[in-house]
Amino acid sequence: MRTLLTTVLALLAVLGVSPVDAQTPGVTDVEILLGGSNSFSGPLAFTGEQMTKFGVDLYFRVVNDGGGIHGRKVRTIYYDDGYKPQEAVANTRKLVEQDRVFALIVPQGSPPVVATLGYVETQRVPMLFPYQSSPVTRGKKYVFQGMTVSDRSSRMMVDHLAGQRKHKRFAAIYQDDEYGKSFLTAFEKDLGRHGLALLAAESVKRGVTDVSAQIAKLQAAKPEVLFLVLVPGPAAQALKERQKIGWKDVLMVSTGPLTDERYLALAGDAAEGVEGLSLWPDPVTSDLPGVKRYREHMAKYFPKNEPNRYSIAGYFAGILFTAAAQRAGRTLTRDSLIASLEGLKGFDSGILPPLTMAPDHETQKQGFWVRVEKGRFTQVTDWLKSE
Amino acid sequence: MRRAALGAGSALLLLWPFLVPRYFVFLTSLVVVNAIVAIGLNLLSGYTNQLSFGHAGFFAVGAYVAAVLTLRAPGVPVVATLVLAGLATALVGLALGIPCLRLEGLYLAMATLAFGFVVVEAIQNLDWLTRGNDGVAVPTAHLGPLALASDAAKYYLVLGVGALMVAAAVNITRTRTGRALLAIRESEIAAQASGVHLAAYRTLAFAVSAFYTGVAGGLFAFVVGFISPDAFDVFLSVDFVAMIIIGGLGSIPGSVVGAAVITLLYDWLAAFQNYRPLLFGLILIGCMLFMPGGIASRMPKWTQQAQ
Repeated sequence: MRTLLTTVLALLAVLGVSPVDAQTPGVTDVEILLGGSNSFSGPLAFTGEQMTKFGVDLYFRVVNDGGGIHGRKVRTIYYDDGYKPQEAVANTRKLVEQDRVFALIVPQGSPPVVATLGYVETQRVPMLFPYQSSPVTRGKKYVFQGMTVSDRSSRMMVDHLAGQRKHKRFAAIYQDDEYGKSFLTAFEKDLGRHGLALLAAESVKRGVTDVSAQIAKLQAAKPEVLFLVLVPGPAAQALKERQKIGWKDVLMVSTGPLTDERYLALAGDAAEGVEGLSLWPDPVTSDLPGVKRYREHMAKYFPKNEPNRYSIAGYFAGILFTAAAQRAGRTLTRDSLIASLEGLKGFDSGILPPLTMAPDHETQKQGFWVRVEKGRFTQVTDWLKSE
Repeated sequence: MRRAALGAGSALLLLWPFLVPRYFVFLTSLVVVNAIVAIGLNLLSGYTNQLSFGHAGFFAVGAYVAAVLTLRAPGVPVVATLVLAGLATALVGLALGIPCLRLEGLYLAMATLAFGFVVVEAIQNLDWLTRGNDGVAVPTAHLGPLALASDAAKYYLVLGVGALMVAAAVNITRTRTGRALLAIRESEIAAQASGVHLAAYRTLAFAVSAFYTGVAGGLFAFVVGFISPDAFDVFLSVDFVAMIIIGGLGSIPGSVVGAAVITLLYDWLAAFQNYRPLLFGLILIGCMLFMPGGIASRMPKWTQQAQ
């Protein structure tokens, strides 16, 4: 027993005096290490895999084949959290403390992201472009929001519909969580600016797919416009229900996070004529120079993977990180990266409109209006303003 | 042999936060939390043969009681919070245990499975109390003037509670109650014939098991610092069952080892991304094929508790 204690104490002494290295974690002479906890199983597995392996990593392969960032290659590690907050916490801690990543990139979903925000701020690790739309990430020094925040989306949607197109009667069906409620609050506020209010709002619990009762109630309120603040499954169900009961004199409008191809595929012909706010140019058909490059890179490195919104979101995250790390110069630290990101002004990615990051740490501030025609989103307006 | 090993083990556990990086301290806390659940589940399944696929539900009740209590009444010392979390969960366990008395085998598994879903549904709908799907950030636990904020502090809390729970479980299994539970497992009819009140002991097992799981849930809330309904899905219940099957039904050391294996597997397999569920499943099948009695059956004799 005594010998054991002595050994342990000796070990302690050795560990106690081991030097703490002053170097920036995750940055060596030849490499920058990034990591992220994401969904590779669970409800958002497809999104997670596309964003990381076929998005972020796609752009970094292009960068690395071109000589890297100031001679450093970018390497990434991802851990699966299956959309569970406790596993996101464990993964994030492992990435920061064991793998010593330089920054966290594109974590996904409100619960996992919110669960790790406090830790990230106290450890002063940059969290780059979390893919979730609630405003909880605002006002954090080390966090740069990835997806358009709900209040900006709401402003663009309401200004377009009530301001330009003079609609008067609005209602909403929303998911009963942070995602849905943050939109609802924003709608009330923005409609108020136009002297209007929501006539009715019906909530849908997460994971529920039958929305017939809510649709029936909303029809009774006779709105001209119905906002869909849902995820693809129940949203497609809402559209089918509307078709089934023959409710024609209403415009269904989807929010930014919902406007994606998966939702269209689920709804089938019930989606025809639906409008919405699109946060990304069409990854398959857009002629924007950045989107064309994205398709070329995808065809070169992952010819079997179809272009989609999630991989282009990851690809865009890669572009932003690379641009900021380039600007920060050869001596890259976490604080110099933050300063460099904050200093991005009128940055043109060729995918989204020119981006100025300061002072709000938001990377996506605009969207444009789309209408579903023959099963695809057709662009109706140019980029809308959200300021 | 046994004493030396116990002494060395305890010394190592006590010094652990000074020996390893913070992350492993955190991970070890999670292992101990899961071990408490596994012991609780084993008291139910291993000793009275009642299989539960709803322990994630009990775990969630404990976690939410502890979190909400700490939010609303920050002055309550953490030990009281944990006892209350355990008691509240034990009450829920009683409420579930009594109607489940008539159920056996698959039917009991179905009822407990449904219970797990009901708890998650309740958390989502009681959003004035639980904040629904958005989850709760759990404040730091306090023990008198001490704020248990660091990983090491949380670890010592978890370790202390864990040690008490293990000691209590070992004692339960050695008492009249423990023997009664074992008798029920071996043969319900024989047990009844020897004067064991079947309904009372089965219900008691449910309540005790729920108490263990509730306390563990409370610790979990403090260790992870954030809870939301997404954390407590049916797969967590399955993981708990996997822990006691891998570890060994009816064995307390086996429960601890099983909890460690499953927790560390999750940590290690996270790097395999999409392949994680596949690898996890293959490893479990492998364990079942080569160690059908669980790891406990292959552990050296001196680790087995006297029965």
